[in-house]
Amino acid sequence: MLVAWKYRRRNTFIQRLDPRTRFIFMVCITFAFTIPDIWDYRIIAPLFILSLTLYLMARIEWKDVRRALTYIFILVFFIVGLNAVLSGRGGPSSVLNVASPILFRIPLMIPGTDWGWSVPVTVSKVWFAGNQMLRMLSMALLAIPIPYTIDPNIYGTAFKRMGVSDKVSFTMDLAFRFLPTTARDLTITMDAQRARGYEMDKLKGGLVARIQRIAPLIIPVVMQSTVTGEEVIDAMDLRAFGTAPRTWLKDLNYAPRDYFILGLGVAIFIICCVLKWVYGIGDFFVPDFFTNFLIG
Amino acid sequence: MNDKTTWEFGTRQVVYAAIGAALYGGLSLLTNVIPLPAAGNITFRPAVAVLVFFGAAFGPWVGLLAGFFGNTIGDWFAGWGFYWHWSLGNGLMGMVPGLIMASIKDFKARPEIMKAVGWSILGIAVGMLFASVMEKLTGGIDWNTAIVGYFVPAFLGNLVVTVILLPILMIAFAGVAARRGR
Repeated sequence: MLVAWKYRRRNTFIQRLDPRTRFIFMVCITFAFTIPDIWDYRIIAPLFILSLTLYLMARIEWKDVRRALTYIFILVFFIVGLNAVLSGRGGPSSVLNVASPILFRIPLMIPGTDWGWSVPVTVSKVWFAGNQMLRMLSMALLAIPIPYTIDPNIYGTAFKRMGVSDKVSFTMDLAFRFLPTTARDLTITMDAQRARGYEMDKLKGGLVARIQRIAPLIIPVVMQSTVTGEEVIDAMDLRAFGTAPRTWLKDLNYAPRDYFILGLGVAIFIICCVLKWVYGIGDFFVPDFFTNFLIG
Repeated sequence: MNDKTTWEFGTRQVVYAAIGAALYGGLSLLTNVIPLPAAGNITFRPAVAVLVFFGAAFGPWVGLLAGFFGNTIGDWFAGWGFYWHWSLGNGLMGMVPGLIMASIKDFKARPEIMKAVGWSILGIAVGMLFASVMEKLTGGIDWNTAIVGYFVPAFLGNLVVTVILLPILMIAFAGVAARRGR
């Protein structure tokens, strides 16, 4: 059985937007960050504020989004942030190539030996970690509200009206719909395996042993999904899916507010490209006030 | 390899591409918090075994779409954004093992499993090499970083999970397929 996202109808500006507008706007902001490769806080900070404003305007209840946001915060702050502070990886090479004052060193030693590394934490790495976190949150805050604020019945229509073929539209529609089902199956399987003594949190042994122990979790979920797939195929075949061009029940129309948001998204993308490629603004750098603040 | 069944794109392929994308995206989201020692944000993804399995079991279109959309979903919801070359690289990773879909008759026969693992390794090499080379062309990194910093860790991480988990998935699927009679 398929389960649905926690979609709820709310009387908000965000939900009154055409779903195509929201998908295209999200793509514009993501492309504005990734195509000209923007790492300048003067561009990242305003875009983060814009994403946060749109997220808050969606008025999603905390209890609905608690798990998703907790996961994102753990990923962004502890995993990515810590990784960026320690290694400076995952961004432009200038983070590591530019000479930057060392704040302190973290000794990473192999237990029981004298071997290890003394990892320097520089001003550049700390600033990069902050930029990286804001950049990721800016994109995640646009993506997370989608399943909670777009009616699952109009995913397919939205993709189709964006020029995608019937079959690929339906693939994307079904992929979004299967996500919560996959999450549900994973939770049930994890509970069932724990009841049999499976300890997910205590994956001991080498790499191979650890991967093998993931199998009791992954295999039942994948097999259950293939069985569910056969039932969905039967249902779609019975309705003669793919025998003729589809008609879509819901119709979508752009309103003036959609043109405003679309214009804003396209303008942000163009401005980021022009700033980077014409004026050379957008590369990573550490502002003096931050260095002075840390070094004194 | 180029017969009609291999390249067919009907109801079955639409549904399994969607399921593959949801599984790959959902499981990748869970493990996107485990970075590999690499130059960029390369993460440990046991879900790659699921992706290549869907390619080998249901064909190249399923592998391509599951990899492309699954990677896009996983990255977007985690806040990484959208990098078309990594999504397409993941798609190729699922597509290449799909080329032998029509030749796999018995999912629990050892030669068939070896063949699927071999083509999956080829798919991982093609997909990750494509993404790494594109990273060099679009991201301005040097060849050494592209190959040693991106391709090698991504290839090795995906290779290990595929060699271990793909045979288990195929044997389990043989039982399910026999019960369903398809």
